[in-house]
Amino acid sequence: MTSLATSSLVPKPSLRRRAERGLFGLVAGLEWLGAIILAVLFAVVMAAVLRRYVFGGGYVWSDELAIWLNVALVAVGAPLAATSALAMRLDVIVRLLPAGAQRLASVFADAVAVHGSLVLACGGASVVALVGGSSTVLGLPEWLRFAAFAVGGGLTVVVVLWRAALDSSWPAALASLVLGIGFYLAAQSATGIFVETPSLVAASLAGLGLILGAPLPYVLLAGVSLSGAFGGLLPEPAIVQNTVSGVSKFLLLAIPFFLLAGELLTAGGLAERLVRFAASLVGHWRAGLAQTTLMSSVLFSGASGSSVANAAFGAKVMAPALIARGYPPAHAAAIVAGVSMLDNIIPPSIAFLILATATNLSVGSLLVGGFIAGGVLALALAIGIHLSVREVVDAAPKASGQERAKSFIGALPAIGLGVVVVVGIRFGVVTVTEASALAVAYALIACLALRSLNIGTVFGALRKSATEAAAVGMLIGASAPFAFLLAVDRVSDQMAGLVTALGGGPYAVMLLANLVLLVAGLFLDIGAAILLLAPLLLPVAISAGLDPIQFGVILVVNLMIHGLTPPLGILVYVVSGITRVPAGAVFRAVLPLLATLLVALAVLCLGAAAWPSFPPPFKELF
Amino acid sequence: AGRPVTVASLFGEDKPETRVWRKIAEILNRTAPGRFDLRIVGNAALGGEKEVAEGVRLGSVQASLSTISALSGWVPDSQILDLPFLFRDRGHLKRVLAGPLGDELKGKFEGQGFVVLGFINYGARHLLAKEPITTPAGIKGKRIRVIQSPLHTELWSGLGAYPTPIPIPETYNALKTGVVDCMDLTKSAYVGFKLHEVVPYLIETGHIWASGVIYVSAAFWKGLSAEDKAALSAAAAEGVGYFDDLIVADEEASMAKAAAEGGKVVQPQDRPAWEEGARKVWTSFASKLGGIDKIEAVAKSA
Ligand code: NA
Ligand code: NA
Repeated sequence: MTSLATSSLVPKPSLRRRAERGLFGLVAGLEWLGAIILAVLFAVVMAAVLRRYVFGGGYVWSDELAIWLNVALVAVGAPLAATSALAMRLDVIVRLLPAGAQRLASVFADAVAVHGSLVLACGGASVVALVGGSSTVLGLPEWLRFAAFAVGGGLTVVVVLWRAALDSSWPAALASLVLGIGFYLAAQSATGIFVETPSLVAASLAGLGLILGAPLPYVLLAGVSLSGAFGGLLPEPAIVQNTVSGVSKFLLLAIPFFLLAGELLTAGGLAERLVRFAASLVGHWRAGLAQTTLMSSVLFSGASGSSVANAAFGAKVMAPALIARGYPPAHAAAIVAGVSMLDNIIPPSIAFLILATATNLSVGSLLVGGFIAGGVLALALAIGIHLSVREVVDAAPKASGQERAKSFIGALPAIGLGVVVVVGIRFGVVTVTEASALAVAYALIACLALRSLNIGTVFGALRKSATEAAAVGMLIGASAPFAFLLAVDRVSDQMAGLVTALGGGPYAVMLLANLVLLVAGLFLDIGAAILLLAPLLLPVAISAGLDPIQFGVILVVNLMIHGLTPPLGILVYVVSGITRVPAGAVFRAVLPLLATLLVALAVLCLGAAAWPSFPPPFKELF
Repeated sequence: AGRPVTVASLFGEDKPETRVWRKIAEILNRTAPGRFDLRIVGNAALGGEKEVAEGVRLGSVQASLSTISALSGWVPDSQILDLPFLFRDRGHLKRVLAGPLGDELKGKFEGQGFVVLGFINYGARHLLAKEPITTPAGIKGKRIRVIQSPLHTELWSGLGAYPTPIPIPETYNALKTGVVDCMDLTKSAYVGFKLHEVVPYLIETGHIWASGVIYVSAAFWKGLSAEDKAALSAAAAEGVGYFDDLIVADEEASMAKAAAEGGKVVQPQDRPAWEEGARKVWTSFASKLGGIDKIEAVAKSA
C-alpha cells in the first residue's frame, strides 16, 4: 500500500482525507445503528422474561419482533461483515503472490464481494415485490425483513468500493465494480449447460473466490448465484429469501447476547478476576502461567459462549504476560489460541446453538455432553502444555489457602454468571435466548454494582458486539442458500454412501464421519461447516446406532479443532491479529496442542462409538 | 428425466409427510411416465413450512404439504379452519371442505400463488397435562405451552390459563422442570417427541383440527399441459386419502406405545363449558373470517 500512495492514481490529499472521513462516518453510523438495534432487542427479550416470571403469561409478539430485530441487525452490519476484521478473508495464499498479482487478486476479491452484495440488493428487491403475506403476530408485511437486506446489500457495494478506493485506488475500485456487475450478469444468463449437481459448481466457484481473499459470506452468495447459469435450482430472489430465513431463527438471538455478555465481562474487569483466581490454583505448577491461561479460559468459557471473545480476551490480557515471563511470542499466542477453543465446547456455546438450529437437537441435552467433552479436552490441553513448555521455568510461589479463598470470592461475580446461564438452560427455567439475555443483565448489573463500568464502556460494548453478531449472522445467513442447493442436489445420499463405505456399524461410521469433518473443516468456517454438514451426517449416525447428542458434541469438537488449523483457523487469526505475531508462526507453534487435542478427539469418538454396547445401568449414571 | 419438481417435506422417510410424496411419485411413474422428476427433500432441509411457502412463491420449491395456519399470513380467511371446538369430528371437517367453503378457500390460495390439489387432515390437537384436567375450571391458572399464534394464545388465556410460547425442541425440558404445566398437540407428535414421559395424561379434547393442503406453485402449474395437470391432480387426490389413512394409523400406533409406557387417555367433562370458553375466540376473530354467522353455519352444518 505504501508503494501505491506515491502513485498518481491516488486522489489529492485533501480529497483523500475527506473521503476517509466520509467512510469512517458511514461505518461508525452503521455501528451505532447496530448498537441501538441490539439495545432494543435486549429490552424486548427482557420485557418478555419479566412478564413471564413476574406476572405470568407472555407477549404473543415478543419472539417474532425479536427475530425481526435480529434480521435488521444483520442487515445493518452486512457492509461491515464485508470489510472488517471479521470478514473471514483468507489471505494466506494471496500473500505468497508477487505485488502485481496481489493487486489483481484484490480487484477480483472485491468484485466477488460486489457480486454477492448485488445479489442481496437486487434479489432482495424482487423478494419485496413477490413474497406477499404478513406476520399474523405482528400485523406487519413480511417484505420488510427482505427490504432490510436489500438496503444492506446496496450499502455493502458502496462500502466495499469506497474501502477499495482508499486502500488501492479509484480505478481499482471501478474495475471491481465493472467486474462484479459482469459476474452478476453472467449469473443471470443461461449458458445452456445443465449440471446435475449445481452445488459442486457453486462450491468450486466459491472456493476460487475464497483463495483470492474475498469475504466468506459474499463468496458463498456469489458461488450460489453463479451456479444459476448452469441450471441451478435456486432463482435469485430465493437466494435472498433463504439467507434471510437463515437468520430468522429464535435460537440465534442468543448469539448477540452471548457476545455482549462476553464483552461486558472483559470491559468490566470480571474476566481479570477469573485470571487471578486461576493463578492461585495452578500458578505454582511447571509452566504455571501457561496453565493459568488454560484455567482462565476454562472459567471464562463457563460464562461466555464465544471462542472468538475468549481468544480476543486471552490475546489482550494473557499473551503479553506470557511474553513478559519469557515465552517466545509465537508460543504465547499459540497457547492463547489453543485454549480458547474450549469456549465453544464448555457451555454456553454458540457452536451448540448453531448445531441445535440446524438439527433440532435440544440445547439442554447438548449442555451435558459439552461439559464432559470440555473436561476431557481441558485435561488434554493441560498435558499438552506440560509436555511442550520446556525452556521456560516460571512457576510462581504457591498461593496460600487464604489467598485462594480471597481470589475465589473476587471471582464469584463472574462464576455466578456462568451458573445463572447453565442452570437456567439445563433446568429449563428459561429458554436459551432468555438465558443469554439474563447473562447480559447479570453482567451489566454486576459490573455497575462493582463500579467497573460506565455508560461509555457499555455503549462501546454494545457497538462492538453488534458488529460481531452481524458478521456471524451474515455468515449463517449466507450458508443457508448453499445448504439448500446441497439438499436439492441429493448430496445427503452421496454423503451417506461415503460415510457408510466401511459398513454401517458405529465404529466405522464414527471413523469416516470424523475423517469427512477433518477434511471439510480445513476449508470451511466452523459455523458454516456445522450448518452444512450436521444435517447430512446426523441421520447416518443415528441409523448406525450412535447417540445423536454425543455425535453432535463430537462434531462440534472436531470442527472447533479447526479453529487452529491452516488455512482458515479463525482462532489463530484473531490472536495473531491482536498480538501482531504472524499467523504462520502461530500455526507452527500450536502443533503440539493440536496433536493432544486430536488424541482427545479420538478418545471421545471411541467412547461414543462404544456407548451403544454399554450396559443400561451404566448409561443411567449420566 | 422429466420436469424437475423440488418437493419439500418437514420430516424423514418414515413419516406420512414424506411417504405421501413417494406415493404420488410412484403413481406418476405409472400415469405420466417420464413427465415429472420429483426431487423429494425431507427433514426440513429446505426450511420450515413458512420458508417453503415463500420458496413456492419465489420459484425455488414447486410442491409441498402445509398446515393451514402456516399459510394464514397470505390467506387470513383460512384461519376459520383453526377455530377451536368448531368441528365435531374428522368427518364433519371433511364434508365442510368438500363443500363451498373448500372451493372458496382454494380460490383464495390460488390468488396467492398456491394451487391447492387437496385438503389433508393432520389430526386433532388434544390437551396434554401432568394430571387429568377434564374441565375448564381445572385449566385456570395453569401455565400452558403454546405455539406463537394469537388464536391459540387467546383460546387459553380466555380459559384462564397463562399461555407461554416455547420452541418445540425445548418443550420436553420445560414440562419436566415445571416451567409450564401443560400443552396441546396432535397424538402422533405427542408420542413422537416422547412428551408422554412428562405429561402422561392426554385429555381427548380434539379442540382444534390441524387441517392442511397438498399444494403446488401457481407458476409451475401454469406451465403444465392439460394432460400433466390431470395426471398430477389425480395422483394428489389419491395422495390425500393415503395421507389421511397414514395419520389415523400413526395415531393408533402412537397411542398404543404411550399406553404401554404409562400414558393415560381421559375424556373431557362438561363439553359445553369448554365450547363456551372457545366461543370468545370465535367472536374475536369473526370480523376477519367473514362474520359470526358464517362461523355458526359451519359449526351447525351436517
Ligand atoms: Na462457553
Ligand atoms: Na476452519
